[in-house]
Amino acid sequence: MSRFERKILFAIGLSVFLTLGGSVFLAQGALREVYRVGVNERFGAELVHGVEARRAQLMALRSGSEQVADAVGWAVEAELTKNRRTSKLEPLLHELVKQYDTVAGIRVVDDVGREVASVSREPDATVGRAMRTTTRERGIEVGGRNLRVDVEVAVPEVYFERLQEAGEVADVYSRLQRQSASVSDVYVWVFGVLVFFVIVVAFLIGAVVSRRVTRRVTALADASRKVGAGDLTVTLPTGATDEVTELTQAFNEMVRDLRDSRTRIEYLQRISAWQDFARRLAHEIKNPLTPIQLAAQEMDETYDGGDEAYRKKLEHARAIIEEEVATLRRLVGEFSAFAKLPRADLSPSDLCELMQNIQDSVPAILEDVGHGTPAPVEVRVSCATEPIHVRMDPMMLKRGVDNILRNAIQAVYEAKPSGGGHVFVRAYATDVAGFIEVRDNGPGIGKENWDRVFDPYYTTKAEGTGLGLAIVKKVVLEHGGEVRLDRAPEGGARFCIELPLMESR
Amino acid sequence: MRYWLSAVVLLTAAVAYAQSGLPVRDFGVTWARGAPRVSFSAKDLADDRVRQELSSGLRKRLVVTVRSHLKGSNRRITDRQFGCDVTLDLWDDGYLVRIGNQSERLKTLEQVLDRCLVVNGLFVGEPKSYEAQKGKDIYFFVKAEFNPISKKQCSELIRPTSGNDPIGPITINIVRRRICRAERTVEFRSEYLGVPE
Repeated sequence: MSRFERKILFAIGLSVFLTLGGSVFLAQGALREVYRVGVNERFGAELVHGVEARRAQLMALRSGSEQVADAVGWAVEAELTKNRRTSKLEPLLHELVKQYDTVAGIRVVDDVGREVASVSREPDATVGRAMRTTTRERGIEVGGRNLRVDVEVAVPEVYFERLQEAGEVADVYSRLQRQSASVSDVYVWVFGVLVFFVIVVAFLIGAVVSRRVTRRVTALADASRKVGAGDLTVTLPTGATDEVTELTQAFNEMVRDLRDSRTRIEYLQRISAWQDFARRLAHEIKNPLTPIQLAAQEMDETYDGGDEAYRKKLEHARAIIEEEVATLRRLVGEFSAFAKLPRADLSPSDLCELMQNIQDSVPAILEDVGHGTPAPVEVRVSCATEPIHVRMDPMMLKRGVDNILRNAIQAVYEAKPSGGGHVFVRAYATDVAGFIEVRDNGPGIGKENWDRVFDPYYTTKAEGTGLGLAIVKKVVLEHGGEVRLDRAPEGGARFCIELPLMESR
Repeated sequence: MRYWLSAVVLLTAAVAYAQSGLPVRDFGVTWARGAPRVSFSAKDLADDRVRQELSSGLRKRLVVTVRSHLKGSNRRITDRQFGCDVTLDLWDDGYLVRIGNQSERLKTLEQVLDRCLVVNGLFVGEPKSYEAQKGKDIYFFVKAEFNPISKKQCSELIRPTSGNDPIGPITINIVRRRICRAERTVEFRSEYLGVPE
């Protein structure tokens, strides 16, 4: 794990821990407070009081039923004391049932267990209601006879059910009270465990994200080290759309610019070396040419012998020497011109004006290529309607374009000496660059030579010096531009010079 | 493999330690047609407070659970549970005791405790449960509880809120277990005894 990853994970962990840890702390306090408000002793006490009240109510009902049984016993005893005929008891019993709500029935039994009298409450009053009944027995003695009065008392079952329900609620509430601290702790623990899982998930996500970022940053660092070691072929992939991708794109552009600059510098250094070589060569060749030519002339002119055949040999040798010396002078001239090629002096100019100058020089080039008569090649020079402002040395650049144009006309003329050749020269611009394009419908240049044609002294022509296109590339590079060669739509060669605009459009 | 062995050894040791920590009581065990019938008393569950609660007029519950285990193992062979709902009848003298679907009326609390906490000849499992254990040592574990709230009743009393609270369903189960557990519990086990061949 890199330091960067550790820092990201530490930041994620710290922020998540502080946030969620704080929330656990606050939740703990809040939960305890909620519990203290919701489950407090007063509520519990009131619930217990409610249970006690219901129990007291039932006990009171029971006590009341005992008293009712006593009252019934006394009433029966009084009636039998007054009127000893037990057959007259039933009206009294009916009256007693009517008088006491809790009495469901009364039965009077003699000492041998025989029923003397009995009444029951009409079922209408208690229909549909579950009742709990029991019998309260009362013994009475009348005139020496022992009788038993069974008073059946009843109370609605719902009183007992309500007591049980109240008891259950009070029971659960008291348990809640007893467990209140631990229950809130349970909530906090569960919350804490969930928070822990959230932190773990956040860490995992952070690790994945930071690894993705750091992997790309590490790749950038490795690529930077390679570039520092001189490897300018490094290119990093760009996929996502984020700041790291922008950084990667900027890095790729930087490496590409460095690569182009290095290529440009290397080429210019090579050209400079060749210029130095050309200057020395011109100097070394130029000096003996005049003595050679003079010596040949003197040998021819001072021979006064009578050998006619020898004279003819001398004249022939003199003609050859003079012709070769002339060729060498021309070569020396070209070498010398190449060696003395000045650096481009850039100033703001319009490419369309340059096109006009080139248009003006076309007839002379045609005549030169045609060796005195204009070569039958159609040359069209055009430019955009708006000025194309670039920083350039018009003379140097014209010289370079002239070289390309001359080569194109020569190639087309050699291929189509009787006419039909076309050469197009045009200047145009895009948003960021100005272009000069020279293309023809000649035989073109083989793709295998596209990179080499700009090397000094490389030529495919019998009489070429291989300096023309080298001069073109040197001039263009000194303008901060590029020159490329490819195949023209017409089938011939297409040279394209790209120059940076003074201001982007 | 070494870790698994260590874990098994540790687990066995823990089980043995837990079993050795349980109090041992006298059990009457007879075997009838391959199944054990056990007799024991858990009346000591009813301390003063429990007796007072049983005489409160509110319904209280006594639950006795008997489990048979292999010696040195927590794995249960079989179990048996029965419970009494005890209510002092405030309208009449005596206690209403409900066991399963049957109710009976007992006069005194001692009778109630004898009925609910003293076990005589209770079958623990069926013969087929012990067929594979013949010749092995087993023991009976007893857990007597006073007034546990049943799972069903507990779920009805303590319900989770109907919101989208992610913690609620988890915590409510823990809270239920704490709140609805028995108010008093007595646990003990029998001596080890062999399953007849």
